[in-house]
Amino acid sequence: MKRLLIGTALASIACAGMAGAETTIELQRFFGACDADFGNVTDVSQAVGECGIITALVNKFEADNPDIDVNVTTVEWPGYDQLNAQLASRAAPDVVSMHYSVISDYQTRGLLDPIDDVLAAQGMSADVFTDASLAGVTKEGATYGLPFDNWTMLFHVNMNMMQEAGLVGDDGAPILPASVEELYEQGMQFKEATGKPYLVQILANETAAYTRILYTFLQQQNADFFADPTAIKLTTPEATNVVEMLKKIYDEGLTTTDMDYPAAVSGFSNGAGGIAVNGTWLIGDYTAQSEAEGNALSGGYTVYPLPQLFEGRDSTYADGHGWVLPKKDRSEEQLEAIGKLFKFLAENDFHWARTGHLPAVKAVFEMEEFQSLPHRDNIAEIAQTGQSLPPEVLRQFAIQDILGEEIAAAVHGDKSVEDALATAEKRVNDLLANI
Amino acid sequence: MAESYRRSRWSHALFVVPYLIVFLTLLVFPLFWGMWLSLNKVDLFGGAEFVGLRQYARVLSDPVFHQAVRNTVIFVAVSVPVLVGLGLFLALALNRKTRGAAFLRGLYFSSTILSVTIVTLIWRIVFIPNDGLMALIFAGLGWEPIGFLSTKGWSLFSVGVATVWWCIGLPMMLLLAALQQIPADLYEAAALDNASKGRILTRITLPSIKPTIMLVAVIQIVMQFQLFGQALLMTNGGPAGTSRPIVMYIYETAFIRWDVGLGAAASEILFVIILCAAMLQYWISTRKEEV
Repeated sequence: MKRLLIGTALASIACAGMAGAETTIELQRFFGACDADFGNVTDVSQAVGECGIITALVNKFEADNPDIDVNVTTVEWPGYDQLNAQLASRAAPDVVSMHYSVISDYQTRGLLDPIDDVLAAQGMSADVFTDASLAGVTKEGATYGLPFDNWTMLFHVNMNMMQEAGLVGDDGAPILPASVEELYEQGMQFKEATGKPYLVQILANETAAYTRILYTFLQQQNADFFADPTAIKLTTPEATNVVEMLKKIYDEGLTTTDMDYPAAVSGFSNGAGGIAVNGTWLIGDYTAQSEAEGNALSGGYTVYPLPQLFEGRDSTYADGHGWVLPKKDRSEEQLEAIGKLFKFLAENDFHWARTGHLPAVKAVFEMEEFQSLPHRDNIAEIAQTGQSLPPEVLRQFAIQDILGEEIAAAVHGDKSVEDALATAEKRVNDLLANI
Repeated sequence: MAESYRRSRWSHALFVVPYLIVFLTLLVFPLFWGMWLSLNKVDLFGGAEFVGLRQYARVLSDPVFHQAVRNTVIFVAVSVPVLVGLGLFLALALNRKTRGAAFLRGLYFSSTILSVTIVTLIWRIVFIPNDGLMALIFAGLGWEPIGFLSTKGWSLFSVGVATVWWCIGLPMMLLLAALQQIPADLYEAAALDNASKGRILTRITLPSIKPTIMLVAVIQIVMQFQLFGQALLMTNGGPAGTSRPIVMYIYETAFIRWDVGLGAAASEILFVIILCAAMLQYWISTRKEEV
């Protein structure tokens, strides 16, 4: 009995010693949960989709670093309500996924720690990241997050239907509009030939797509609508041009109607229309679908940036995902573990770019594997044309909701275009004036 | 009796201390804290600045809040009578001692135990365009499809249908319990007098369960004024804010925009609206008896 007790005590001490050697990182992210499919995958090249790839990346990191345990909490997109509650109760996780457009909200309230020292300790320099992604995480001269990607809205094209509509050029590329008038003409041509709407858009429930399109076409007209980051200017001819264009697309039946996000994603998959206006994150899934037989996209899918429809400049609104450190006390071991994780994620940014997002690491653009990914050459220009809002603009998610709601009201005919833009401007400026 | 009184001690109050702690911590303190927040400019992470009644002025002059109040009042005005009326109908229909009635009572109550996420998922499948149940029925009949979740008017209606389906169980059960409390001899006397079914309903049944009908109405008024999850998940308040209820306005201002002071002011106004509506219902229901 005495031996048994001594043995148990020694085993406990040994276990405690082993546990003490392990550093835990509490990581909180969106991108979905898929442990059933990828929970044990450590070969990242075998993973697909945002969820699969990030799950496999974390698995691989843990396998490579047995002394570090990454405890992942998956939150419903975008997860900021949960993060706010954790920050308010001083129980924030160590590492959190965050959109570049949101980082300023937290950084200006002193809720994030800069990561410059963490990167420097791993011998990493900010120079490795693209300008677009670095701009998203740099605030007041410091880096407040690890850049992971850039994303934007794209034209996902059903080439089978475009062929049917006579909108494929001799070079095999789709004929896309170069002006607003061409958009209407090609839309009508498509509709008459196929009997289906030209565009597949998210027009119900979620209205963020409207805002992203508005930003893109305002940028193309060189409209400096956030010249003052504390007040938006929307009662302008440029904004009216964009919303009237969106309304005409709707009124002329050139778009699907009443589709929410899931309906729009599956609608395009099932051939509901010619061009889906949706994000970079769908490239991987639609490409995989086009490689399978017997569906609407079989052998006929490609993707391009939103076309330049207005004279001015080629520009598209872009945001991105980063990894931030909520402000809290961390041990040296934890900071080192987080640094290792960040270095690993940056070194494996190519795998993340397989989702369709644009890489945040410059070197990935030069990689042969990246260049050979389907359609990436079509959208590579976004690295230059992608533009976010000024980083001083706070509450960008809330602004996105307000603008989307008002534009949707104008497009559906519930308000006049002028009334919707004036109301949107007033609501956004009231929000910004009371921060 | 006197001895019993003498034996009472202040220490006996210790028995209610656990409840009092919970009551004060989770109800009274947040109530007054919410009032205090509504007088401040404050975000989710503190830094309060006292601004007096400015947040109330902002809420009361906000057209989006006016629209949310209008939506909520319409929703309550339509959904509460439907819930009480349908609940009463089901209770009367199922007030029998048969296996079929017992099964149906369980069936109608079963929706109540579901979470709002499941309820909205079910009704989204019914109402979504293209592949939804209603869309398929409309297509089968050759009718023009309706965007139930994205068309002005229909969106609030759709939220109302899901809400009635979800909430009907409780009114039905409360009214059923009240019906079973009515003494059988009243019905026997009515039968001896050869009273018609309609007369029995209006002269015996409904007067006997009147307090429960009032209770159900007040409970439903209080509950339906707090409409939130169904609207958020089914329509996101749209289109053009036509299905945004007051609680969703509070959520958006306090948690999406971090304007906690404004959200707290809107909450206090909702508190007063619910209190007034419930009191009005109580006053209307008891007025005749006093006369």
